[in-house]
Amino acid sequence: MARVELRHISKRYTSVQALDDVDLAIESGEFFTLLGPSGCGKTTLLRTVAGFIRQDSGEMWVGGQRIDDTPAYRRNIGLVFQDYAIFPHMTVGDNVAFGLKNRRRPRQEIAERVTRALDLVRLGGHAARLPHQLSGGQQQRVGLARAVVIEPQILLMDEPLSNLDAKLRIELRDDIRDLQHSLGITTIYVTHDQEEALVISDRICVMQGGRVHQVGTPWQIYSHPATLFVAAFVGAMNVVEDLPVGTGGGLSLGASPRSMPVLAGRDRVTLAIRLEDMSLSAPGDFARDDVLALDGTVDKVSFAGREAFYRVRLDQGSMIQAHVHRPERRLLEQTGARLRLILPIERLHLFDPATGLRIESN
Amino acid sequence: MMRRLRLDFWSGVLVFAFVVIAVLMAWPLYSIFVASVTDNRSGAMTIGNFAQILGHPAYRGAVFNSLIVGTGGMLGAMLIGIPLAVLTTRFVIAGRDILATLAVLALVSPPFIGAYAWIMMLGSNGWMRAWLEGAGIALPPIYGLFGILLVFSLKFYPFVYLMTASALGSISPSVEEAAESLGAGPWRRFFKVTLPLVFPAVSSGALLAFVLSIADFGTPSIVGGGVRLLATTAFDLFTAEMGGNPGLASATSVVLIAICMVVVVLQRWAVRRRDIAGSLVRRPTPQRLRPYAAIVAHGVCYAIVLAGSLPSLVVIYTSFRKTSGPVFHPGFSVDSYTKILGEVPHVIANSFTYSTAAVALIVILGTLIGYLLVRRETLASATLDNLLLIPYIVPGVVMGLAFVVTFNVPPLQITGTAAIIVLMLFIRRLPYAVRSSASILKQIKGGIEEAAISLGASPARAFAKVTLPLMLPGIVAGALMSFITAINELSSSLILYVGRTMTMPVRIYLSVLDGQFGTASALSTILLAATGLAVFVVFRISDKKESAFV
Repeated sequence: MARVELRHISKRYTSVQALDDVDLAIESGEFFTLLGPSGCGKTTLLRTVAGFIRQDSGEMWVGGQRIDDTPAYRRNIGLVFQDYAIFPHMTVGDNVAFGLKNRRRPRQEIAERVTRALDLVRLGGHAARLPHQLSGGQQQRVGLARAVVIEPQILLMDEPLSNLDAKLRIELRDDIRDLQHSLGITTIYVTHDQEEALVISDRICVMQGGRVHQVGTPWQIYSHPATLFVAAFVGAMNVVEDLPVGTGGGLSLGASPRSMPVLAGRDRVTLAIRLEDMSLSAPGDFARDDVLALDGTVDKVSFAGREAFYRVRLDQGSMIQAHVHRPERRLLEQTGARLRLILPIERLHLFDPATGLRIESN
Repeated sequence: MMRRLRLDFWSGVLVFAFVVIAVLMAWPLYSIFVASVTDNRSGAMTIGNFAQILGHPAYRGAVFNSLIVGTGGMLGAMLIGIPLAVLTTRFVIAGRDILATLAVLALVSPPFIGAYAWIMMLGSNGWMRAWLEGAGIALPPIYGLFGILLVFSLKFYPFVYLMTASALGSISPSVEEAAESLGAGPWRRFFKVTLPLVFPAVSSGALLAFVLSIADFGTPSIVGGGVRLLATTAFDLFTAEMGGNPGLASATSVVLIAICMVVVVLQRWAVRRRDIAGSLVRRPTPQRLRPYAAIVAHGVCYAIVLAGSLPSLVVIYTSFRKTSGPVFHPGFSVDSYTKILGEVPHVIANSFTYSTAAVALIVILGTLIGYLLVRRETLASATLDNLLLIPYIVPGVVMGLAFVVTFNVPPLQITGTAAIIVLMLFIRRLPYAVRSSASILKQIKGGIEEAAISLGASPARAFAKVTLPLMLPGIVAGALMSFITAINELSSSLILYVGRTMTMPVRIYLSVLDGQFGTASALSTILLAATGLAVFVVFRISDKKESAFV
């Protein structure tokens, strides 16, 4: 258990800035997730913390101690790999015992701790098996037991679930979260799966191009994305890019022009709204001040059981997606129909088209 | 890791590897090159040696003949190897594992054994010639180009066969079925789809056959009947009784290397952008042939493989015949063995000692360099990788000459010692060990070692506890294959040996030239037994089996 501070970490490869001044503080016992598309720098950052990559500049502090010059094998950091990295020539028990043997613990203690760790990941009684006799999910449990048995200061996980099928992924995801809670171990978790990140994390750090876009709780990330990139990457979002803004923040989009004070003094704005934040209504309905009303034609309806997705071609030209919870049958037969989309203004996300930064209303 | 030069264990290995290559490869080859452009008497720089090779009909003939032998050996190997590969992978052939094993045995047996066994069969007094003439079939004389090409084709076809068969086995049947569904008949499908897919493998096998044919020294000097080739010319020029001609010998060597390089470059160019990595969902299933076709197919396969193994069988048989000098008597005996054990026990001991010593060096440095190439990718290790391609294309005769030119004067005067032979075997075979250890490592995920390090193992301990145990079967297989090639090495040893340091292949070669077939056969049988045993062990520990040998 330890607080982790990453201070202004940068790493450059010949042509790519892999990490660009990453500055993060991770609280003791926190489940902290690095989220981003492939190539965003999240794995580079994780491997830098683990000690396999040396940053060009910046400092790393764990539990009040600077670790930059500590070699990887002296860092006392648990690591869980995407491809499990189980030693194929050792039994499950020997895999889990490996770290304790490196630390020269007494034989009796090793045996007890290995048994406890395997029980913890629900693999009690599998100690004598060889890795190839285990399923992928079981192998990753061994990887987890092997990483936590050394009681590391921090636990690093590099997309540990991405090689598993959907059902196992959800099961092991919950197990990882429970295990982390009960051990109270500071954890840095890397994933590109935004839903996984939302479910599992205390806080999420969204990265792109080696830069941190936003750090926040899952709620903050989802409902107040700090940049257009975060808005588009986490959850599904409709984006209407680069709209002209009239004098005094006037927005001439859709049936009724609205004036938004927050936009006063700006030329252009990018609008975004979540699929589920819109509602459908008949043309001509609604003329309230707190909504935007956009007219269009239904282009396609996709039924997915408990929900349906509407693709609507707006009269203004762009396509927009809307999400309908528990759709009724009659709604599904409306391809070609005219309708009006209602966008509550308080649910709109506004971004500066030039910088991609959120425009806050206060 | 790439950020700065760190003076750890692996940087030490890298530096050591460069030193070894500089001393044992770059320096000797540089010496040969310098000698090739130096006038023997005045010591001045000249292109006279090369002018003489192009100008003098005898030397020009050697270049021409070498090209014929290389091309002919290659085509012969393809002509035999490709049909065998197609038949054994596409159709049900009984005992195909036996065929593959016999092909491997033919491959690893020393080439000059084939040469003199064929003389015993088809030479002017050969029993097979007598037998065929009795049946009214007159054969062309075995001595000369025909004999050389016969021996090379039957000796080197396994390269083409094993590589092609392994490539054919990894073509997804869906690809061929797709061709068929698009209207391609069997022949069109084979030439338009299957063959292009295995072309990289076929051409690698063919390349090996070419380079080995052109580099081989024993076969043409035994069965060549005076045909001049570059390899034999270089040897003769260098060892001539009345003061050799080192300048011309070196120039001949340089031409030999140049030809091999051109061919390697051509092959690389031909297979560029041909790295076909298919995902294999299904494996091809061999089809059952109709009865008469099956008989023909079996006949062809077994005839090829038996012809390839015939020399070894003849040699073993001959070693147990009663003999006095060059004359064979009716009946069997172990006289030949008694004779060699009495007369040349040190030769047998030398062969095993030198090969074992060379293999020990090869395994240690080869494993470490292989690790460097795969796990510590840097500009320096990539350079090392490219440098290690050189021994593949430098014929043994040339390397032997280069060693003599370089190491018979201070600072490193080691000609006539056992060390020079061991070092020669070491540098010639090091690249093979590096390549095999690199390919094993590529199959071991890098994360495994990082896992060990994150659990508190130092890099050295992680290597020893995790990586090394996983590499071990591959290392042992690689070591045995190095042993096989080391103990059968003739051409370079023939240049480097003195009486004390004579090895079995050298003794066999000299006995054959003396007509002492009994002694030669007994020594050859010992070589074959050692080789066969090593092959057996490789088969037991390697899951890739035959393909491990190419």
